Amino acid sequence: MRAIRKHERRALLGDRLQVLLLGLFALICLSASLRGAQYREALEEAAAAFEAEHLERAADWRERVVAVESGDVAPEDDVFAGLAMDVARPAVAAPGPLADFSRGVTDVHPFTARVALWRSVDRLFGNYQFQSPNEIRAGKLDLAFAVLFVMPLLMIALTFGALSRDRDSGRLGLLLSHPVSVRAMVRSKLLVRLGAVFAILVAALLAGLFIGAGGVPDGGRLGRFAFWFLAASGYFAFWAGAIYWFVSLNRKSEITAMLMIGFWVLNGLVGPAVLAAAAQLVHPAPSQLAFLSTARQVSNEAYRSRADVMQGMLLDHPELTVENYTIPEYIRVSYLVNETVDRAVEPVLEEFEAVQNRRRSFLGLVQYAAPAALAMRSINEISGTDLARQVRFEGEVRDYKRAIARHVEARVLAGERLTVAEVDAVPTYTFRESGLGAVGRSVVFPVGYLFGLGLLGAALARRNLARLQTRFREA
Amino acid sequence: MIRAIARKELVQYWRDGRVVTVFGIVALLGLAATVTGWSAVSAMERERASAVAMDREIWDTQGLKNPHTAAHFSRYAFQPTFNLAVFDPGLTDYVGNAIWLEAHYRDPAALRPVEDAVEIQRIAQLNPAWVIQVFGPLLIFILLYGAVAAERESGTLRQLLAAGMRPVSLLLGKAVSAFSLTGLLVFGVLLGSAFLMSAEGIERLPDTGLRTAALAALYLVYLAIFVFLALGVSALSSRSRTALAGLMGIWIVATILGPRIGPDVAGALAPAPSAPEFAARLDQEGADPFWGAGEEAVQRRQRVMDAALAEYGVETVEELPINYDGYLLQASEEFANGVFDTMYAELWGGYERQHAIARGFALVSPTIAAQNVSMALAGTGLHAYRHFADEAEEFRREFVLLLNQEMIDHGGADGYAYVSGNGFWRQNPDFEYAAPGIGEAVRGVWADVIILLLWLAIAIAVAALGVRRGFLGEMAA
Repeated sequence: MRAIRKHERRALLGDRLQVLLLGLFALICLSASLRGAQYREALEEAAAAFEAEHLERAADWRERVVAVESGDVAPEDDVFAGLAMDVARPAVAAPGPLADFSRGVTDVHPFTARVALWRSVDRLFGNYQFQSPNEIRAGKLDLAFAVLFVMPLLMIALTFGALSRDRDSGRLGLLLSHPVSVRAMVRSKLLVRLGAVFAILVAALLAGLFIGAGGVPDGGRLGRFAFWFLAASGYFAFWAGAIYWFVSLNRKSEITAMLMIGFWVLNGLVGPAVLAAAAQLVHPAPSQLAFLSTARQVSNEAYRSRADVMQGMLLDHPELTVENYTIPEYIRVSYLVNETVDRAVEPVLEEFEAVQNRRRSFLGLVQYAAPAALAMRSINEISGTDLARQVRFEGEVRDYKRAIARHVEARVLAGERLTVAEVDAVPTYTFRESGLGAVGRSVVFPVGYLFGLGLLGAALARRNLARLQTRFREA
Repeated sequence: MIRAIARKELVQYWRDGRVVTVFGIVALLGLAATVTGWSAVSAMERERASAVAMDREIWDTQGLKNPHTAAHFSRYAFQPTFNLAVFDPGLTDYVGNAIWLEAHYRDPAALRPVEDAVEIQRIAQLNPAWVIQVFGPLLIFILLYGAVAAERESGTLRQLLAAGMRPVSLLLGKAVSAFSLTGLLVFGVLLGSAFLMSAEGIERLPDTGLRTAALAALYLVYLAIFVFLALGVSALSSRSRTALAGLMGIWIVATILGPRIGPDVAGALAPAPSAPEFAARLDQEGADPFWGAGEEAVQRRQRVMDAALAEYGVETVEELPINYDGYLLQASEEFANGVFDTMYAELWGGYERQHAIARGFALVSPTIAAQNVSMALAGTGLHAYRHFADEAEEFRREFVLLLNQEMIDHGGADGYAYVSGNGFWRQNPDFEYAAPGIGEAVRGVWADVIILLLWLAIAIAVAALGVRRGFLGEMAA
C-alpha cells in the first residue's frame, strides 16, 4: 500500500491541473482570510468609533449637569442641562469572535444603536441601510464559503477518477488479478488526494486564526476556533465519506463525476434554497410594512390625543404634577407618545422574534436534509454571526431602552433635571457573547451528524468495494 | 439531415432515464421557483397597497399640527414590486421597500426583506431566473459533453464521417436538440411567470411585453453560448471524461464562483463608504453647518436673515410679512439638499464603480452579464432602484417645500405655534411612481449585452475550432 500511496503522491504532484486546483484553493482561502480580517477590523473600528463618540457626547452632557449642580452655572442659564428626556447611550454589539471566518448576516443588520428616549423602539437603529445591494446579493467570499462550497468541488475534481479511471482503461481487472485489496487501493488513493485538501484546509484555518487576530489569538478566539475547526472537519468528513461511496459504485468516470456534481448541487444549492423557501412559507414573517403602519398610526393617534394622554398620566401619577413646570410640554408629550408607540408595537416585535424562533426550530429539524445548510448554520453560530445572535441584540437594545426609561421616567414627567448621581446611575449596556459551553451544546449534534454521515458513507463504500473484490475474484 | 440528427438525439434523451430525471428536477425547480416568486410578489404588493392607503389615511387625519412638525412625521414612498420580479427578483430583497420622506434628511430605503430572511437564503435564493442561469448551462453540459467525444470513443464518429455526414450538420443537429430542450425550459418558466405575472394586484412594468420578449431572447443567447461551448469542448476532447471535466470547470467558474468572486473583488478594489460612517456624516454634514453653534453656521443663518429682510424690504424679523421660522427651515432644507446631492452621488458612484469592476468578471463568467441584463429588463437592478430612490427624493423636496411654504405664507408671527388642520393635509399630493421604460432600463447594460454577444462569438469560434481540429483529424485518420 505504501507503494500505491507513493505512486499517487507522485501522480498528484505530476498532474499540473490538479496542482493548479490545489494552489487555487489555497489562494482563495488566503484571500478569504485576509479580506475577512479587514472586514472584522472595519466592523470593530466602526463599533468602537460609534461607542466612543456617543460616550463622549454623554460625558459632555454630564459636565453640564455637574456645572449646574456645583453652582458654576446658574440653573436658569442652562435650562436643559440634565433634561431627563435627553439621556442617550450607545448600544453596540462588537463583531462576533470569528466574524472574519464567516460574515453570516452581519452585512445586512445593524450592530450599533443610539438608545434615546426621543426615539421610539421602531427607530432605535437609525439609518444603516447604506450597503451596496449588489455586494449583499452576491454574498461574500469568506472562509465559510471556501470550506462549504469550494472545498467539496476540489475534492470532487481530485477524486472522481480514483477507481473509474482504472475501470475505463481496463486496468482494474488486471490490478485485481494480483493480490491487491481494492479497498486498500481506493483508500490509499483517496487518502493522498483528500489528505492534500485537508492539509490545505488546516493550514488555511490556522492562517485565518492568526491573520484575523493580528498575532497570537486570545483564549476566547481559540475556543471558538476549536469548534470551527471541528465543524469544518465534520463537513470535510461528510464529503470524504460521500466521495468514497460514489467512487465505490464503480461507474464510468463521467458518470461518477456527474453523480458527485449532482450531489453537490443538491446539497449546496437546491437543498438550502428549498429549505429557506419552505421555512419562509411555513412560518411567514409579519409584514414589515404593516408594522411600520401600526407604529405610525399609533404615534399619530397618541399625538392627536396628547391632552388625553397627559391627563391619563397625571391621573396615574398625581405626585408628578408640578406647579412650576418650566420645561416645554412637548417634551413630556414626546415621551408619552413614544412610550405609547413602544407599547403598541411590542406585540408585533415579539411576533417577529417568535417567527424567527419558529423558523429556527423548523430549520433545526429539516437542516439534516441539506448538510451544507446545517454546516453553514453551525459555522455562523460558532463565528458569532448568526441570525439568532442578531435577533438577541436587537431585543436587548429594546429592553435597554425600557430600562433607561424606567430610570428617568419620573424626572421626565415631572419636568425635573437629573442629578449627577442619577446620571451616573443610568444603566449601561454590554453585549455578551454566548458562552463556549452554550455554543458547543448547540453545534455538537449537527457536527456529530456530519461525522456520522461521513462514517456511514465510508462503511457503505467498504461494503461495495468488498463486493466488487468478490465479484472479480469469482470472475 | 440536421433535423434527423436532432430528432434522433431527442429520442435518445427521452430513452435515457438520467436525462429525463435531471430535466424533470430542473423543470420542477423552475415551477416551484415561479410559484414562490409569484407568491412573494403578490404578498409584497398586497402589503404595499395596504401601507399606501394607511399612510394616506394617517396623513389626512393627523389633526392640528405645525406643518414643519408634520414634515418630520412626514410620509413614506413605498417601492412597488413589479410583475417581472416574479421571474427575476434581482435586488428586490436587498433594497428597502420604503423611504421615509422626512424633513432635513435623505433616508435610505428601509425594511429590506433580506433582514427577515433565514440566513441560509444567502446561499441560494429560489427564483426562476436563477434556475435558468445556474441549471440551464448544467443541463446543456450534461446533454452535450459526450456529443462528439462519446461518438469518437465508440467509433461511430468515424463511421458517420465516412458515410458522408457533414461535420457541421452533425454539430448543428446536436446543438438543435440540446437547445430545444433547454429552450423549452426557458419558455416554460417564462410562460409560467407571464401567466402568474398577469394576476390581479400585481403592478405592470411599462413595456412588459417587450421586456418579456427581450428576456426570452437574452436567455436563448445565454444558453446558446453554453451549447456552442459544450460542442466545441466535446469536439476538442479526446475522451468524454475529459470533456465533462472541462465543462464542469467552466460551469463552476461561470455560474458559481464568478458571480461571487466578481463583486467581492470589486468591493475590495472600490470599497463603498462604510454604512455607519456614511450615516453619521449625512447626519452631521446636512445639519451642523447650518444649525450648529459654530461660526460658519451662525454666519450662514445670518445671511439667510439678511436675504429675507432684503427680499421684503424691512429692518427686523418682526416686521417680516411671513413666518420667518418657516423661511429659515426651508433655507436649511435647500442647504442640506446640496449636501445630500454630493454625498449620494459619492455613494451611488461607489456602487457604480463596484458594478463596473464586477462586470469585468463577465469576461470569465457570462452569467454575470446575463444577470445584469436580466435584472435591468425585469426592473429589479441597481438602475431601477436608483431611479425609484431619486424620484422619491425629488418628491420629498417638493413635499417638504409645500409644508414649509404653508408655514411661511400663513404662519405670520406665530412661529412654531402655527398649526394647520386636516383640510390642508387632505390637499397634499401622493407620491406616484412611474418606472422607466425599457429604453432607459437597458441603457446601463449595453456593455453587458456586448459582452454576451462576444461570448456567443467566442463559443461559436470554439465550436468551429472543434469542427476543424476534432472532425478533420478524424476524417484524416
